[in-house]
Amino acid sequence: MDPSKIEFLGEKQLVNIVPNFNLDIIYLISGSVGPFRAGLPVKVPIWLAVSLKQKQKCRIINQEWMNIESLNDRKEMEKMSKLFTEMPSNHYIDESQILLNVANDDIPDADRIRTSVKDIWDIRMSKLRTSVDAFVKSEGVHARLDHLTAMEINSIRPLLPHALDQMLRIQSANMGEINSQYSGKK
Amino acid sequence: MTTLSYSYMPDYFSLTDILCTEERISCKVEVTLPRLGFLDLSSESEDLKIGTKLELPLWLAQPLNIARESIVSVDIPKTYKEGYREILLADACTVVLNKWNPYYYELGMYLRKFNNRDCEIIIDSLLLTFRSRFRLVMDWAQNPVSDPTLNSLLPRLERDLFLAGRKAKLQLNEWLKKGSNVIETSQSAVNLKKRKRTDYELD
Repeated sequence: MDPSKIEFLGEKQLVNIVPNFNLDIIYLISGSVGPFRAGLPVKVPIWLAVSLKQKQKCRIINQEWMNIESLNDRKEMEKMSKLFTEMPSNHYIDESQILLNVANDDIPDADRIRTSVKDIWDIRMSKLRTSVDAFVKSEGVHARLDHLTAMEINSIRPLLPHALDQMLRIQSANMGEINSQYSGKK
Repeated sequence: MTTLSYSYMPDYFSLTDILCTEERISCKVEVTLPRLGFLDLSSESEDLKIGTKLELPLWLAQPLNIARESIVSVDIPKTYKEGYREILLADACTVVLNKWNPYYYELGMYLRKFNNRDCEIIIDSLLLTFRSRFRLVMDWAQNPVSDPTLNSLLPRLERDLFLAGRKAKLQLNEWLKKGSNVIETSQSAVNLKKRKRTDYELD
């Protein structure tokens, strides 16, 4: 899948905004949002927040986990742990990309948050690469990776599933089950 | 990547499979074959005699070998023999597998069908080779390497994996750099061939 499709899915996450206009509830297929009262915070999907922000009709309040102390704590935990630690959101990397790009002025310490998120991403990606390699070498048939987020899972596609398919193909040749145009049966 | 999924099962239209079965295998004739002497250019006789050695493509050698009384006996290519398997066991990553055979894995799987005592060991060795080389393929796919000869080092199966992985990695990098971009219509939706109203009204 294209990363922008993952981002599209991530845009369904909710974020708090402070609108500067009044409007009744908007009814949408995915659920209703609002009502909007100027100055009062309200939860909306990120895609709506981005659009309102671009029209300068709201101020985005950053996600609770998006502050520099908690991110640095997470970073330290991620460094210490051999396993993947739990992330605040299943779409942490895409959410921070979107919000930090569009609402740079609303979020305090935006640049440091960006660096911190990127560090966490890099640590996790290198862990992922190591564990994928260990998994393939270990002759295991299944592996369990908790707390992996959508974008990270997508990053090993299609390489890992394809490689596993090929391994199965080579293995099943030994079982004599491989289909062939010569054996006459399919 | 569609080309890869086509090569999963050797189907009639799989190009990889067709090219792989072109591979020449050295065979020994077990039965006198009348009027087929022209296959062996060095002999003058009309018939192909017992014991003649000749190279046949895999697609021909296999049915001739599989019949109840084998017409030819097959000698497996040297890259699958013990000496070469030892090299792979020692360190598969240093081998330029593409030079041994561009269809090393596929051909190895076909050799399983010949009645040869080494067959099972060959498959095991293929699997081990693939496992240990996977890290190499993954690293190349995920790190920016600007070596144009890289493509020619990998056999077909690994190269397809490499290209698919490389493409995904480039997309991810692109996204990380500039954020969102336009989502394209998926190929399956394009293939639906929905009739446009304009075409419809013209008829």
